[in-house]
Amino acid sequence: MTETAAAHPVDPFAAQALNAVEGLDPVDPAYGHVLRIKTLFNALPIAIAATMLDLMVVREIGGPYGLLTGLSWLLGAIAVVTFPARRAQRWGFKIGEGQLRVARGWLFRTDTIVPFVRVQHIDVGQGPVERWFGLSHLIVHTSGTHNSTVMLPGLRSDLAAAMRETIRRHIQTDFA
Amino acid sequence: MSDGSAALSSDAASVDVGTDADWQRLHPATLALSIVRLGPRTVNFLPALAAIGIAGKWIYVLPALGVFLLLSLAAAWFGWLRFRFHVGADQIAIESGIFARQHRTIPFDRIQDVSIEQGLIARALGIAKVGFETGAGGDTKDEARLDSIGLYAAQALRQTIRAHRGGAAPAAIAPAEGGATDAAEPVGEDRLLFAMTPQRLFVAGLFNFSLAALAVVGAAMQLFDNLLPFDFNIFNPVDWFDLAERYGLEQWVVAHRWVAGVGALVSLLFIGFASGVLMMMLANWGFRLTREPRALRRTRGLTTRTDVALPVRRVQAAILVTGWLRQRFGWHELRLQGLASDGEKEKDHQVVPFGRLAEIDPVLAEIGMARPPAEQPWQHSHRIVALGGFVGAGIAALGGAGTIAFGQPLGWIALAAALPIAAGAWISAHFHGWTEIGEMVAIRSGWLKPKTTLLPFASVQSADLSIDFILRRFGLATLVFGVPGGSSLGSHEIPAIPRDVAEALRTRILAARTRP
Repeated sequence: MTETAAAHPVDPFAAQALNAVEGLDPVDPAYGHVLRIKTLFNALPIAIAATMLDLMVVREIGGPYGLLTGLSWLLGAIAVVTFPARRAQRWGFKIGEGQLRVARGWLFRTDTIVPFVRVQHIDVGQGPVERWFGLSHLIVHTSGTHNSTVMLPGLRSDLAAAMRETIRRHIQTDFA
Repeated sequence: MSDGSAALSSDAASVDVGTDADWQRLHPATLALSIVRLGPRTVNFLPALAAIGIAGKWIYVLPALGVFLLLSLAAAWFGWLRFRFHVGADQIAIESGIFARQHRTIPFDRIQDVSIEQGLIARALGIAKVGFETGAGGDTKDEARLDSIGLYAAQALRQTIRAHRGGAAPAAIAPAEGGATDAAEPVGEDRLLFAMTPQRLFVAGLFNFSLAALAVVGAAMQLFDNLLPFDFNIFNPVDWFDLAERYGLEQWVVAHRWVAGVGALVSLLFIGFASGVLMMMLANWGFRLTREPRALRRTRGLTTRTDVALPVRRVQAAILVTGWLRQRFGWHELRLQGLASDGEKEKDHQVVPFGRLAEIDPVLAEIGMARPPAEQPWQHSHRIVALGGFVGAGIAALGGAGTIAFGQPLGWIALAAALPIAAGAWISAHFHGWTEIGEMVAIRSGWLKPKTTLLPFASVQSADLSIDFILRRFGLATLVFGVPGGSSLGSHEIPAIPRDVAEALRTRILAARTRP
């Protein structure tokens, strides 16, 4: 962290820090809840399976009974409680000057810019969990082989629709 | 028509006669072709035959095979009967399907060019497969094609479509450096840009040294050991002893054991070189690259001749590839990345398989590109790009050491390989670099297989700035570009350059407008 920390004296783990430094807008905090519920759906079967394994195998062979169950539920709980909000904070976007910028991740951070004139078509989608929180995700398609789709989740549905309109207008003006 | 297509026409070919008013069918010889294709397809039938055989009802095998062949032929016949196409004034319509009918219309305006392909049997029959390159992305399987019509009909069709395009105004969509080159070129005249002479093919084949065929030959020798009319395995020094013995050289050979080793080695080398030359000849025999009003056109192939046009305006990037050794002799290969893929296997188009830089430069000039001049300063990637190789070498060393600890001497191979892997990664890291020439970025990489990519700013559809936890520590970033059309040589990226430099470069590249 030596050089970067010196250049940007911000705690990289602080909420919003990364996006603020890079001049990006955060996604809706409710997206953290969406991620949390998705994580829950992923973690629950694993924890249950670990418990079953513990009950049926570890106890039979006289291993450390209870360790696997405790560990899996503990790790699952940590994954559900702590990380989703942080992951949501790592998403950032900026719309303007004829381009869409989307950044995501921290350990492996990717910061993508798509000029509006390069957009082939746009999707706005909404999953059941997202609908619950009134969120949508925006997908822009480019003709590039790499990055043929760029996804931006965690937008309030009206904002997503507005962004789609903004981008759509640019596509039209380019062709006219 | 250029010389290329004249060379293509081998035998006499009859022109199709329309059955309905203007609708035409495929060439009847296509049916002959489908009979030939039945041969390999019969293999699908083998499990069924085996099942019948196992049931002990051998008497049904022949009738079953006959029914299968008959049904296949009937299907081919109906397929031929129900396939028709119509060449209109400004569009081509294709109707196909035995039960489910499909009607497809392709306006000439949307056809970038027409490719003509002839296999060995198709050449004997004087027919050719015609493919319409529309520039629509996605599956090549979905591309419209006429399989097959008479060669002359195919060439006439191409002329018709090209003439139509020639008369029309230039297309509005233009993702390539047009302008200057378009104005300068003489309209309607085809110029030869590059050709491969047999001598050149031979030299190229020598550099194409491949031991891949060796594995096949070796495996075949193992498999058919007892079937071969002679009992001689050229890779086995013992067989060379036997050979010497037979000719009374026994005493001499025992005294000079190394002769047997040399014999095995020489045949090894011979097969490597011979297969390299053979593969080069098969693929690139009669290679010709010509400049046409709108496209670069390439004809090549010994058994399967292909005739492919790459619209100049659709060229997205140029890739110069060479090898560590062939570079010493001044040989290079040029590939162009277009929107469509080249045939079914390759993603980019090989336009100069083996040539001097002096031959490649004019081809690049045709598409409005140029290699960076020799005095152009290159900016280098950080040496951290070698880290991946180091990690690989470390894993190999650890694995090797572990295996040795378990008493398996083969582990020494992995342990010995670790050092060259690490050294290779370290040396390769010195060759990663990029430079900017006008509205184009040149990216180079590789030491054993040097590669230089010329990427016009206007081809870039999106740009990623990737920073992982290691690059962040050094204040570095990797730029990854989204470019239309695939390349078999990997994605376009500039790894591990200072972050502010990367951001500035990205801004410059994305600011470039779509070319007029």
